[in-house]
Amino acid sequence: MSTEIDVPYLDISDPSFAMHSEAVRNAREQHWFATTNYGFAVLRHEYVSTLLKDTRLSQGSGKWPDHNGVHTGLFHDWWTKCLLVLEGDDHHRIRRMLNPAFSFRHIEAYVPRFEKLAAEIVDAIIDNGEFEFVNDFAEPYATRVLCILTGIPESEWPTIARISISIGLALGIAIREDLPEVESALAELYGYAEALIADRQANPRDDLVTRLVEANRDGDSLSDDELRNALCLLIFGGMDTTRNQLGLGIQTMMRNPDQWELLAKNPELARNAVEEVMRSNPTTTWVTREAVVDFDWEDLHAPAGSTVHFFTQVSGNDPAAYPNPGIDITVERAPHYGFGGGMHHCLGHFVARMDMAIAFRTLSQRMTNIRVNGQDKWMPDSGNTGPVRLPLAFDKR
Amino acid sequence: MHVSVDRAKCDNHGQCTFSAPTVFRLDDKGVLQFDENPDDSLRADVDEAADVCPMQAILVTN
Repeated sequence: MSTEIDVPYLDISDPSFAMHSEAVRNAREQHWFATTNYGFAVLRHEYVSTLLKDTRLSQGSGKWPDHNGVHTGLFHDWWTKCLLVLEGDDHHRIRRMLNPAFSFRHIEAYVPRFEKLAAEIVDAIIDNGEFEFVNDFAEPYATRVLCILTGIPESEWPTIARISISIGLALGIAIREDLPEVESALAELYGYAEALIADRQANPRDDLVTRLVEANRDGDSLSDDELRNALCLLIFGGMDTTRNQLGLGIQTMMRNPDQWELLAKNPELARNAVEEVMRSNPTTTWVTREAVVDFDWEDLHAPAGSTVHFFTQVSGNDPAAYPNPGIDITVERAPHYGFGGGMHHCLGHFVARMDMAIAFRTLSQRMTNIRVNGQDKWMPDSGNTGPVRLPLAFDKR
Repeated sequence: MHVSVDRAKCDNHGQCTFSAPTVFRLDDKGVLQFDENPDDSLRADVDEAADVCPMQAILVTN
């Protein structure tokens, strides 16, 4: 007689579903994966690490517009050609030409600019004793970082933020209703990208856009359309992710004030603090894949076409990988998967890692006793969560 | 040149395989296999691989 293991079931569209709940923790302790109303969910760190990069699983979101009745138009055209949704040689060709411009070495060169930016934004609020974290810090900071990288004047950040948020509506369930707004914003962003490309083609500089324009491998280079698509993906993909992660980071630090004080006294721990925050409280609480072929692993059988989610927050608190799962910015940990993994690993992750380290370092050195000051509002747990509104009070150091 | 990889840091994402496909590859279990002594003509590609590795696990020496 064989023993049947009960595979837990999670209803991820239930309004009360929460990644950090006991129900989800229990599911992880019960089994390495769960079934859900939207495919399978991998819960344990060891399995996330091994399977996230498995090439039998594709990124899967290329079909999102078509699945929602959007088959033509500007958004469909851009999205279906985006690096994120490409596979095989089409993907590898573009990825290897984009990668060098986003390398550790090239992004580290922007650190002084990011530090100046963080200081400037904090200077403007430091004497107020209170601020709204999203509107007053995270959104301007994340957007102006993208302006700095691309050479768009920082004064245009409100427009860039609005454009990025509007395009983001395309990934929500109201995509068809929101499509005119999405496409209007995308057309605006195309204008920015095309102007940048034309300028750097005529007047090369020592900057990111020039590196992308001049990228070439074995005589192959990126076409103007490919450059434009990549720049739009950078600006769209890099804003709300960073904005949201900063908000979740502050939430984590408010719950761990001893760690905040440790960071203030030891600013060299800032990069590790970012890793700890992303492990424990990621904005991308799940990374989604689609089985290209029938996908079998131990007792999981996912037929071709199945959705397989990798729960990053749940696996990031898995006691099998993190025996002491509480926040500790002084220790080196097993890697988290808040930036995804494999061939589609976040392209801009060195930007995010460095700008968030600078943000936490700057804030911790200048503010203490940070607490919620009013009604905060949060997005539901999903592939992209975080605060909508986070009013805070603080003591100036 | 000599290439070494810190296996404690390497997480088999495979970005290095795009920069220098004749030096780095992922085997059928998805684990990195690499040439420890590639030809010097590949230095620029191998340096690029080290630069883009998300875990900064690659070390290139003379």
